[in-house]
Amino acid sequence: MKLKELRKKLDNKEIGAVELTRENLDAIKGDVCNSYITVCEEEAISAAREAQLLIDSGKALPMTGIPVSVKDNICTKGIRTTCASKMLEDFIPPYDASVVEKLKSQKTVILGKTNMDEFAMGGSSQTSYFGGVKNPADTSRVTGGSSGGAAASVAAGLCAAALGSDTGGSIRQPSAFCGVVGLKPTYGRVSRYGLIAFASSFDQIGPIAKSAEDTGYILSAIAGRDENDMTARCGSEDFTALCGKLPKGLKIGLPKEFFEGSDPGIAAAVSEAAQSYKELGAELIECSLPSLEYAVSAYYLISSAEAASNLSRFDGVKYGHRSADGDSFMELIENSRSEGFGSEVKRRIMLGNYALSSGYYDAYYKNASRIRTKIKAEYDDIFSRCDIVLTPTAPTTAYPIGFQENDPVKMYTADICTVTANIAGLPSVSIPCGADENGLPIGMSLTGRYMDEKLIIAAADAFERL
Amino acid sequence: MRYIPVIGLEIHAELQTASKVFCGCANEFGGAPNDRVCPRCSGLPGTLPVLNKNAVILAARAGIAVDGTVNNYSSFDRKNYFYPDLPKAYQITQFEHPISSGGFIEIGGRKLRIHHLHIEEDAGKLVHDDYECISMADYNRCGVPLIEIVTEPDFRTIEEVQQFVEQMALRLKYAGVCDARMEQGSMRVDVNISIMPEGSDVFGTRAEIKNLNSIKAIGRAIEYEIKRQSEILDAGGQVVQETRRFNDNHGDTKALRSKEEAHDYRYFPEPDIPPVFLSDEEIEEIRAQVPEMPNKRVERYIGEYGLTAEEAALIVSDREFSDFYDKSAAASGCYKKTASLMLVGLNKLLNENPTPVSELKFGTRELSELALLWEENKINSNSAMEILEIMYAHGGTPAEIAGKHGMIMSADSDAAEKAVDKVLAENAKAAQDYKAGNKKLFGFLMGRAIGELGKSANPAVIKEILNKKL
Repeated sequence: MKLKELRKKLDNKEIGAVELTRENLDAIKGDVCNSYITVCEEEAISAAREAQLLIDSGKALPMTGIPVSVKDNICTKGIRTTCASKMLEDFIPPYDASVVEKLKSQKTVILGKTNMDEFAMGGSSQTSYFGGVKNPADTSRVTGGSSGGAAASVAAGLCAAALGSDTGGSIRQPSAFCGVVGLKPTYGRVSRYGLIAFASSFDQIGPIAKSAEDTGYILSAIAGRDENDMTARCGSEDFTALCGKLPKGLKIGLPKEFFEGSDPGIAAAVSEAAQSYKELGAELIECSLPSLEYAVSAYYLISSAEAASNLSRFDGVKYGHRSADGDSFMELIENSRSEGFGSEVKRRIMLGNYALSSGYYDAYYKNASRIRTKIKAEYDDIFSRCDIVLTPTAPTTAYPIGFQENDPVKMYTADICTVTANIAGLPSVSIPCGADENGLPIGMSLTGRYMDEKLIIAAADAFERL
Repeated sequence: MRYIPVIGLEIHAELQTASKVFCGCANEFGGAPNDRVCPRCSGLPGTLPVLNKNAVILAARAGIAVDGTVNNYSSFDRKNYFYPDLPKAYQITQFEHPISSGGFIEIGGRKLRIHHLHIEEDAGKLVHDDYECISMADYNRCGVPLIEIVTEPDFRTIEEVQQFVEQMALRLKYAGVCDARMEQGSMRVDVNISIMPEGSDVFGTRAEIKNLNSIKAIGRAIEYEIKRQSEILDAGGQVVQETRRFNDNHGDTKALRSKEEAHDYRYFPEPDIPPVFLSDEEIEEIRAQVPEMPNKRVERYIGEYGLTAEEAALIVSDREFSDFYDKSAAASGCYKKTASLMLVGLNKLLNENPTPVSELKFGTRELSELALLWEENKINSNSAMEILEIMYAHGGTPAEIAGKHGMIMSADSDAAEKAVDKVLAENAKAAQDYKAGNKKLFGFLMGRAIGELGKSANPAVIKEILNKKL
């Protein structure tokens, strides 16, 4: 059921907000995928009661009474927010993230906090301190990540929709792996205030849902300028406005490098899906993003550099894990950090600090920044001829848990299809477009011009309607 | 061997904003520890900095105050290091693109150049309790906006450094940028110093002395460093590049950390704060907020108003005082008399009972009227000072006070002549002695005649009559 239909049912009293919330909480109890780290049963029920009051008074807002999950790197006042790390195992934020505040102001029901890769670093959701997440489509396989719990919670029907975060594909790739829809908004569309930072210049909060229209519906509720975040500079609007009204003559660019780098089965399925846009009167244009081969390296250098700095505050002194050992300040934070962070997080911190250290800055960080500029320019060039860029979301489908775990470079390379949207700050939505020979979902991504979420959502919606 | 010191400065000045630089906490001094702390300035996970626009404006004003170039484009960077007074483990500062570049202050005819000045956030304060053997962190100061002013290594004497710092403090106060209270830490100075043999132009290895908080301490620290480094070189040794701390009690400096132990700050652009763009128009608007700087005022006071260098320097040493002088002197046109009234009369009263100029019981208008009465010979100098004292204590206007106390000098020569006649009759011997050549007695006779007439006595008239009669 789409959120707009659910909205009608709630408003018509066909279903009660509390009843709906209980259904979801019951479903969560039966979760076999480890989607949630924390379930907020009491808070959810009480929020549902308040929502029902608002509905009864006829003043329901779009998200009133809708049960959602929130990724566990988004701060929730009074509810622990762990980033799936031992480091923040007991961190209870004294404030709500701006997106949470927005949802709460509409009396949205927050069911709980979803599992993820530790500090959102990873593409498998297996690096969580609270155990990995299993894919509802095949529990022997990964969900992808880092918003694996969020994608699983939607795919398994453990919420009506989810909030995730996307730094290099962390919303879109797990959405593809789990067969749901994930939207990474334009950088600056959604406030990052209260999102525990991984890589500040890439991070964006976005929705995961069962349909493209739903992602636009939620985005309208969470987007907008925020005086708490200087980088949140885009406004909000009705992002579903073009759904069902896709403009004719759409020009869809297919950058060849993305297809060449993907499994042949996936490349074929996504190409076939692209062909179906011709039925909608769209024109397919082959194009190129020549710097794609440097994208993953540039992404990992910049994101790790920012992460190393962002994660420095976790020293076990003010909150978070504090080691029992340490005779000096330096020893204490060294021990706390050694014990509190998992190995993938440590790897990125080391990589990031290395890239920033004096004598290496120009070779690594500066050059990566140049690639960033170049990729933006190449996208500008493509968008001078195309309205939308269509690519696979991931070069593979969901792989078995444990596979590739010890080969970080291979893991990083798998982000090739998603990182450029973050590097260029562009909106991108992933929708299911088929299945592989094992019946596992394949995702296709539609990337749009800066602030052009409406068009990619409408295009994704049109594909769903075919 | 004789050595020449080569000195450069890094001056930190706290900006007088109402709130901190990246959050809404009050920017104040003192108070209970951790009283002014919020999720943002304590670096809680997920929080983001929001740049205080006023801090940008004040920093730009500082740039203008030192004749620097305010940049159209400036941006922020992160300086990463672990220290318990820094909750985020990085300081937000401007590394690549500072708010203002260049500038100088002229001391003794030498232009002492400023390289740039940039905005940054202050860190917290650690309080060490040696008795309990614990350290406590107070984050009240965390996120207080600072500018760091970095000079070129242009200084060659202690006096140059001290005068520069004094002038800098004064300019920052004039521009409303910083209260420059060194004893409260709102302005702190780091000194980079090396020495080179006289006649050489190759700089030696420098030491950096951190956080000097008085003009005197600056002088003593430099003096000690010159001696220390000279002794090392004289003994054939080499100065080590290091950071040192000045101990005010012992008057010496101790090594804090060597170059090898220096932090690698891993600077990179701050992704949470978009770059700052100031248009030429905006910069001009800010320039219009910056008053005339004290050095320009001194030039004007000497060149146009005919004050002495000493008078001019005294007046500009306080902006309110100087503003008061300017307004009042401009109204009356009596530059010298106004200076005398303020530097002799008012200063004495203010020293006895310190009061902000803005809270005086009289304004610039009254002072200009008083100067004019004096200038036009309607009152004498004693009366002028007396009227000032009365206005200081009770307010009122000079004309009123002069009238009430009979201070208006009489132009009536009949009365003066009568008084002179009376004095000459009563002091015939003195008059005779004067005529016989004891010229000193003229003053005595003048005094007697003035005494006869009281406060309205007009010395010029009396002098003329007395001369005639003798």
